[in-house]
Parts: sequence; C-alpha cells; structure tokens
Amino acid sequence: MPTVRPRRLRLLFALFAVASLVLAGRLAYWQTFGRAELLARATDQIRSDLVVAAHRGVIRDRNGAILATTVELRSLYALPSRIPDHARAAHDLGVLLGRDPAPIRAALDSGAEWLYVQRWLPEETATAIAALNIPGLGFLNEPKRLYPNDAIGAAVLGFVNDNGDGVNGVEGYYDAALRGTDGRLVVERDPSDRDLAVGLREAVAPRDGADLTLTIDLVAQTAAERELAAAMQKEHAASGSVLVIDPTDGSIRALASAPTYDPSAVRLADPEALRDRAIAWPYEPGSTMKAVTIAAALNEHLVKPSDAYNDVGYTIVGGRRLNNALGKAYGPTTVSQILERSLNAGAAWVGQKLGAQRLADYFERFGFGKPTGVDLAGEVSGTVRPLAEWYPVDVGTASFGQGVSVSPLQLAMAYAALANGGTLYRPYVVASRRDADGEHRTAPVTVSHVVTPDTAATIRGMLLSAVDIGIAHNAAISGFSVAGKTGTAQIASPDGNYVDDQYVSSFAGFFPAADPKYVVLVVLEKPDSRLLGTLTATDAFKGVAQDILRYARIQPDRRP
Amino acid sequence: MIASQAVRLISASPSRPRVRAVGAHRARRVERQAVRTHRVARRAIAASSWDLRIFGLAIAVIVLCFGLALVYVSQTTALSVAGYDVQKLAAQRDELRRQNSLLEVQSARLDSPARIAADAQRLGMVHARYVPVIPARSLAAKR
Repeated sequence: MPTVRPRRLRLLFALFAVASLVLAGRLAYWQTFGRAELLARATDQIRSDLVVAAHRGVIRDRNGAILATTVELRSLYALPSRIPDHARAAHDLGVLLGRDPAPIRAALDSGAEWLYVQRWLPEETATAIAALNIPGLGFLNEPKRLYPNDAIGAAVLGFVNDNGDGVNGVEGYYDAALRGTDGRLVVERDPSDRDLAVGLREAVAPRDGADLTLTIDLVAQTAAERELAAAMQKEHAASGSVLVIDPTDGSIRALASAPTYDPSAVRLADPEALRDRAIAWPYEPGSTMKAVTIAAALNEHLVKPSDAYNDVGYTIVGGRRLNNALGKAYGPTTVSQILERSLNAGAAWVGQKLGAQRLADYFERFGFGKPTGVDLAGEVSGTVRPLAEWYPVDVGTASFGQGVSVSPLQLAMAYAALANGGTLYRPYVVASRRDADGEHRTAPVTVSHVVTPDTAATIRGMLLSAVDIGIAHNAAISGFSVAGKTGTAQIASPDGNYVDDQYVSSFAGFFPAADPKYVVLVVLEKPDSRLLGTLTATDAFKGVAQDILRYARIQPDRRP
Repeated sequence: MIASQAVRLISASPSRPRVRAVGAHRARRVERQAVRTHRVARRAIAASSWDLRIFGLAIAVIVLCFGLALVYVSQTTALSVAGYDVQKLAAQRDELRRQNSLLEVQSARLDSPARIAADAQRLGMVHARYVPVIPARSLAAKR
C-alpha cells in the first residue's frame, strides 16, 4: 500500500488553509465593506424608479367644447439590428408614413442601436404599421397636446413645446396650473419588466393639472377667425386682429390674430405668427380714439353734443397744422358730427378744450399705457408718453389717436367701458379652473369707473349716429342698432416720421346700441385699400356681429 | 418472567420449616427483584411512551411548518399572479382611457364649427347674411 509523506500532506494542508483564508477574507469583505455595493447592484437589477407624469389639464370653451387636450399617441421606434430586411422595412414604412423611404433606410443603416422612426403617429397609421409585424419595430406611448379645432383660437390658446412647457396664450399664462405635479413610482420588476405585486412599492400619486373653462365661445371665435382671414386675404394685410368682448363683465368671447398658426404643428409656423396681435401689437389707433376724447370732454362738462365749431378743414395746435382726412372743410359742425364725419380738426378742438393734463389723465383712466392685466402671456402696455414729454401739438394729435399707441385689447376694453355705462373691467379669458380642490370661478374685476353712466349713454348715442348716418354706415345691420367708429391711422416709422401711404384700418363697435351685449373690434395693418381699408374692417365686423346675433338669439330692436 | 408469576411459583413450593424459612427469604428477594423489575419495566414503558409523544409532536410541528410554508408559498404565488392580473387590467384600463381620449378628440373635431362650415360649403350651402325674425307679438296678433 503506497504511503503519502507527512511533509506533502502538511504542504497540501497549508495550501488549502491559505486558500480558505483568502476566500474567507474575500467573503468577509463582500459581506461587510462591499455589502452596500452588492446590495445596490442587486436592487438596481429589479428595481425601477419611474416618474409618473401628471396629465396636463384640458382647456374647454364656455360651452364645454374641447379646445386643447393631451392624448397619448404611439411613437414608432426601431431596433435596427433586429430588423431582418432594412430595405423592405423602409419601403413599407415609407408607404404608410407618407415619407420618402430613403431617409428611413439611411436611419436604419446608421448603426444606431435604437432610434425613433416617427413620433406621435395618427392612430390609424400606428395600427397599420403594427399589422405589418416587422420584427425590431415597437411603439411607445407619448403624450401629445392636441387642438381639435386646428388653428382656431391659436392666439388665445398658445401652444405646448416638445419639452411640455406651455408657451403664449392660456397655455403659457396658466402653465403651472395646467401641467400639475408629476408623481413617482418605485417598484420591483421581474425579468419580463412586469411590476411585482410583492416586494418594494413606493408610490407618490401624480397631481393632474387643472382643467380650464374659457370665456371664449367657439362659435364666436370661429366667426372672428373666418372674417379676419377673409379680410386679410382681400386686403393682403400684413397683420390683423379681431376681438369680441362682453362689456358687462370684461370677459373675452373671441380673440383672433393674423397671421396665425396651427398649435399642433408649431415647427412649421412663421415666427411672426406666434405673436398675438390682439395683446402684443401696439399701434396708433387713429380715429377710434376720438370717442374716448369726446367722452372725456363730455364727462368734464366741457362740451355738449350740440356744441358747434366752424370746421375749416384743419386746425392749428402748437404751431402745427392738423388736417382733416383729405383736407375737407365742413363749416359749422357739432360735437356729434365730429364722430359722424370723423373730423381730426374737431377732435383736436375738443382736445384743446380738455387740455393735455386732463387728456392724459383720461387716457390713463381708460387703461392706455399700461397692461390690462389680461390672463394671457405676452401682453404689451402700449405707449402714452409722460405728460412732461408732450409737445404742444401732442394734445391735438393724441385727440384723434396719433402719437399714442395702444393694443387692440386696450381699445376694445375702452369701448366696452363706454358700452356698459362707464365701468372699465379687467379683461379675462379663464372663466373657471377645476382642480383637485374643486372649481374656482373667476370674478370680474372692476378697474375703475372712467365716465359717468350719463356720459356713457351720450357717447353711445353719438356712436350710434356715426353708424346710422355717419362715416361708419357700412357697419349697419338691418334690424339691429349698432354703434361704432372707424379708424384710419398712419403708421409710425422707426425714424420718427410716418410711413407714406400705409395705414392701420380699424372699426370698433357694439350692439345692440341701447343695451350692448357685445363689443367687436377689427384691426387691419397695411390693407391694400389704404384709406378705404375701414370698409373691409366694417365688413368683418358685420360678419362677426351677424353670426353672434343669430347664435345668441338676440331679438331685433329695430324694424328692418 | 414478571413479578406476579414469580410470587405464584414461590407460594406453590413445599412448606417445610427450614426450607420454609429459606424459601420465604428467597421469596421476598424474588419479590423485591420482581418489584424492581416491574418498576424498571414501567419506567421503560413510560419512557417509550414519552419518546413516542415527542416524536409525534415533532412530526406534527414539521407537518405544521410545512403546511404553513405551503400556505405562504401558495398565497405569495396567488398574490403574484393577482399582481400580474392587476397589471394587465391596469394596462387595459389605460389603453381604454387612451382610446376614449382619442374618441373625444375625434368628436371635438367633428363638432368643430369650422369643419361643419367647410363641409356645408362643399355641399353647396351658403352663409345666410340676413335671417328674418318675426316678433312673437305680431304672430299672436295674426292668430
């Protein structure tokens, strides 16, 4: 029987002992110092820590019609290495996506491990692609803001960019309320990436964004957009805006701006179209301002509607000659006729009676030169220079709306104040906000009482005459009393002069004149018809007004 | 041989005086031994019975533990399966909600006044510029 030498045995024992010690030491290390690392690695393999996105709130019109909502659409991705035939896949996808297959093929051949083929597919397209059963293609659900009425209401709504941030309009102003607060879900998953019911589960529920109901009426908004688009097309105007205001509380029923854009496809939009002209376009209002000047003078009892002056076609103010449009002279003219004929010399005469101080004070009272505070992003304040910077002639030019700039919304709110008896409201577009705490309604806010009810009634009568027998006759609507005033203003150039032969044409009016329910303002920049651009503006006014009268079922207050 | 049999054998032997004395002593010894044997036997029986009880108890504990483990495993499995079912149902719910949202958008698109106007125009309809309104008073007067 062979024997093993004790020395060899001892050596073998020593080797095993050392190996055991090393292994034990290593084991002890991983169980003590390295424990946290091992635990983290093991946990990472099964634990998923996800952000649960809050659902962005829905925006509806005053009647509940959806204006903006967020829907999860399917995005198509590819794992090129798993697609057996790139050429065939690119061809099939190109047909269904309506795209050239070449870029798709190039993307698949690029060597990328994972890539988006196209994001936010229409549901029908996604279903058709899924039916192809091409290995290596898959879908991810991604939230997408949709606007079912396309470009209608784009200016008031704004849009949501690819990062999910609201920009412009209601989306921008109420972004924090609309977006809500994201939640968190920490959960253990099995190898198939399914949540495990047993095991770690920590969840912080997302707080969905608030739903907003606007004061906007989709029917009025559609009419405003339609008429503005028609006017823009007819006049090849550079830009334009239409506003519909409820004078009884300052709520905005429609707000249109041109050029416009589709908020679902902002990338394709002209950057200039993203500017909401109704609130972010300061322009010199021209003759529409005469109503404000005369209302101020009436309120100060400086003039009466029947007071007269001799119109010679011009007036001299501060050594400067201010002409009527086309320089026409009318002889003895009453204050009412100043509005009916839209006389610059007459407005300057009234302005001089008021004086620069009171005229500036009334401009401030009517809200010019400062933001209205409307709940829309990007509002401008317009410009009414401090009184110390006024030249003597400015009291004359400002009386008929030159030398001061206003936004269309400011002017519409001023007319709303004249229509409702003298109360200037803060305009608003969000009627109510519904969140987890319930519904919060917006209360109308009175900014100031700009003129007395008597003064407002007098100016309403004068504006009614301006439509019935005056220069704004084109705005008359059979069966209804309409009050309003046209405006044709020169456009200031950067060098301080006025641009030759280019104007801003506008019409501001309200109806029914005896008990105004709606104020409508139409403004067109640089219409082809130049001085006759107001005719197109009044046409647009009538188009909007007639739709609203029918839709709101307002009874005629006159014989047709 | 058990103690009672030994006693009976002793009492059945001849009864001479010396022999009787020796026999009595032996009988007592045998009796004592028999008693001792009886006690040991009783103890052995008792010990054997205790072992059996412990064994039975151990078996019962093992069976109970096994049963509890089985219940736990089956419950856990059932919970996991239910968890997967819940997950499937949640996914189904989310998909239905998504489809519902898409239908809401589609409905809103179809209700859009601009779309209706465009369709009406395509059908040859024109926008009414004047809509006559007949006052209710004049209707009542005619009646």
